[in-house]
Amino acid sequence: MAEQARMKAYYEHRAGHRALPDSASSAVTNEWLAQAEAALANEEPALPSNGSSSFSVIQEFNIWRSNPELAESVAAIKALTAVIRRSEAATMMGLEKELKIASDALKAWDETSISLSAGCDLFMRYVTRTSALEYEDIEAGKARLIERGERFGDISLKARKTIAMIGQDFIRDGCTILIHGFSRVVLSILKLAAANKKQFSVICTEGRPDSTGVEMAKEMVELDVPVTLIIDSAVAYTMQSVDMLLIGADGVVESGGIINMIGTYQAAMIARSMNKPVYVAAESYKFARMYPLDQKDMSPSPRNVYFQKSLPSAVQVECSARDYTPPQYLTLLFTDLGVLTPSAVSDELIQLYL
Amino acid sequence: MARAMPELQLAISDFLLKLQRRQIEGSFDSAKHTVLLLRQVIVQHRASHSGQASSFIDAVKTVGARLVAASPIELAVGNVVRRVLHIIREEEVSIANNTEDEGETTFDSDDNNNSDDDGLPVLSAAVLAAANRNVLRAPSLHNLLESAVIPAVAIVSSSSAGDSEERSRSSEKNSKGWKLKHSIIEGINELLEDINNNHAQIAEQALEHIHQNEVILTLGHSRTLLQFLREAKKKRSFEVFVAEGAPRYLGHTLAKELAALNLQTTLITDSAVFAMMSRVDMVIIGAHAVMANGGVIAPTGLHMVALAARRHAVPFVVLAGMYKLCPLYPHNPYVLVNEMKSLSQILEHEESMEYIDAALNVPDLLAMNPSFDYIPPELVSLFITDMGGHNPSYIYRLVAEYYSPEDHSLE
Repeated sequence: MAEQARMKAYYEHRAGHRALPDSASSAVTNEWLAQAEAALANEEPALPSNGSSSFSVIQEFNIWRSNPELAESVAAIKALTAVIRRSEAATMMGLEKELKIASDALKAWDETSISLSAGCDLFMRYVTRTSALEYEDIEAGKARLIERGERFGDISLKARKTIAMIGQDFIRDGCTILIHGFSRVVLSILKLAAANKKQFSVICTEGRPDSTGVEMAKEMVELDVPVTLIIDSAVAYTMQSVDMLLIGADGVVESGGIINMIGTYQAAMIARSMNKPVYVAAESYKFARMYPLDQKDMSPSPRNVYFQKSLPSAVQVECSARDYTPPQYLTLLFTDLGVLTPSAVSDELIQLYL
Repeated sequence: MARAMPELQLAISDFLLKLQRRQIEGSFDSAKHTVLLLRQVIVQHRASHSGQASSFIDAVKTVGARLVAASPIELAVGNVVRRVLHIIREEEVSIANNTEDEGETTFDSDDNNNSDDDGLPVLSAAVLAAANRNVLRAPSLHNLLESAVIPAVAIVSSSSAGDSEERSRSSEKNSKGWKLKHSIIEGINELLEDINNNHAQIAEQALEHIHQNEVILTLGHSRTLLQFLREAKKKRSFEVFVAEGAPRYLGHTLAKELAALNLQTTLITDSAVFAMMSRVDMVIIGAHAVMANGGVIAPTGLHMVALAARRHAVPFVVLAGMYKLCPLYPHNPYVLVNEMKSLSQILEHEESMEYIDAALNVPDLLAMNPSFDYIPPELVSLFITDMGGHNPSYIYRLVAEYYSPEDHSLE
């Protein structure tokens, strides 16, 4: 009965997740063309303010990012919202241009962050798609965009709640879950499952080089969930006693594969070869328009790796901190859009960007 | 309400009893009877004036939840209930859209004071119509950023539209309610027709999949499969291996039916499936249900057949009408509840009584007779439905098309 009530709450919650006009279908209007022309005329005076806004956008982003509850893409969208608020652009085209420069600056500031660029792309897409076509008045359009941007933090929190609700259904009594690295979404699933009195145990990997698995293990202790910490090379050794692999993601790419902390690829491969399901929990704003074909297709995101023994200087150290897991190793993705198969990801991305 | 329509209550309890006693069995029969009953529910339902569609939905949900509880293993019952709910939601939206459109034109012609109300109602009506258009869309990246604002807009627009429309609406009410009911019933009739025609629709595709001199292997009996092979036989000559499907041995029936069509048929035991697989070109089976992830619920033994087919790289094709498509994921223990059939199919009662433990007075010889296997999506090569052929990874898309997410749980 409680299960059903929860399900109901979840679906009602999803029903609340509804859409407004599909403006992609509406045609280019005369006002829009007029605005485009005006923007071209304004190009010269707009430039100086761009320089200052691209400078402040990174500061703004860092302020938002220091909040531990906020995901990186949320911080990016908040920072872009601040750009809109400060903007003096008189036309939608002008505003768009300023935003484009700001978002490019943000993306260039940390090229390795997939969720950052996914967040920027999502917001930019929203700006170009809705505002210019729908609002003749620039002030109304701006207000609407600012309001949307401000609310994005709530949307993100809501997304995490939805995912927790979907994900916890997959956690059965008596199961053992292997977790690689720290993920806020995975944690929220486990929190909800523990709150619903499900009896399960967790195995955390150490998660070198950042040792994020240790953080996860600490959280598990707080939830009173039995937890075992293993070194990253013990994944295959423990896989036999594991019922499922549950991981978060930095980014979900168009193939349906994921980019995540290093070691995810091998953990997923081992799980797959032992026929254990691999579940990924990720908010939909982490869906990124990328199509990596192999590990070298992404810009590396190096981290310092410490070894206990001192190394001769001739030894090279591989220090990339993340890898790409192809979709064939993933079973299902838990997202705020529902439970998706990896092939459904490209479908969502095409709907948005086509 | 129960007193008002005793014959409907009678029909419901009669159907419930038949489901509980397993007098109605199999996804086709249970789906068909469910549609007929739900149509009756809609026909007899007198909707209250406020929120007509929601009162239809409530009525269908209440009956639907009872039906599902009566026989949880017949997933088709739940599927059909959800399809009917989806039809109601769709009709509601399309009618709302139509009246919005009509509304705008009539205001200008016969309602002059409306123009004093400034441009707001018109704008909000357009927004509302657009929102309605999107009501049935599942949440997506596309509308992620827009989602939170709808309730506010919808409330504003409905109140402002309500003022100007009040008079005309009350008179329209009856005709609109009638229209809704009428189109729901029409939708249900279409659904019924789809269910009735699904075998023929699937069979139509037979020639695309079965080629000359191929060897087909199957297990047990399936009506869909029989029609499929019959259709293929009209143009092609091929051979069929039928595994008998112990303990019900429905394979014997299928083998005889196929032989009567002058098809070259070979009956084999279930244990011979792997031995014969190397000569087989394609495995075709009928399903009991298809889950949202592309997994299949099918009679016992078929998971082993699927594994044997995979070992020999033989395509494993599943025939399933759209009403067998279940929007749930098989993580749910309620869904994977298996039906344990009578033991007497395996072991006679007298036989087991010969092995009674004298001390405890319980038999030492037991038997188990589960009726279904779960076949994971990786082992399925192709689904053939009445809407065409689909990859297992595409099933989620069909689910999104035929069901509303808020109906997934019937409670």
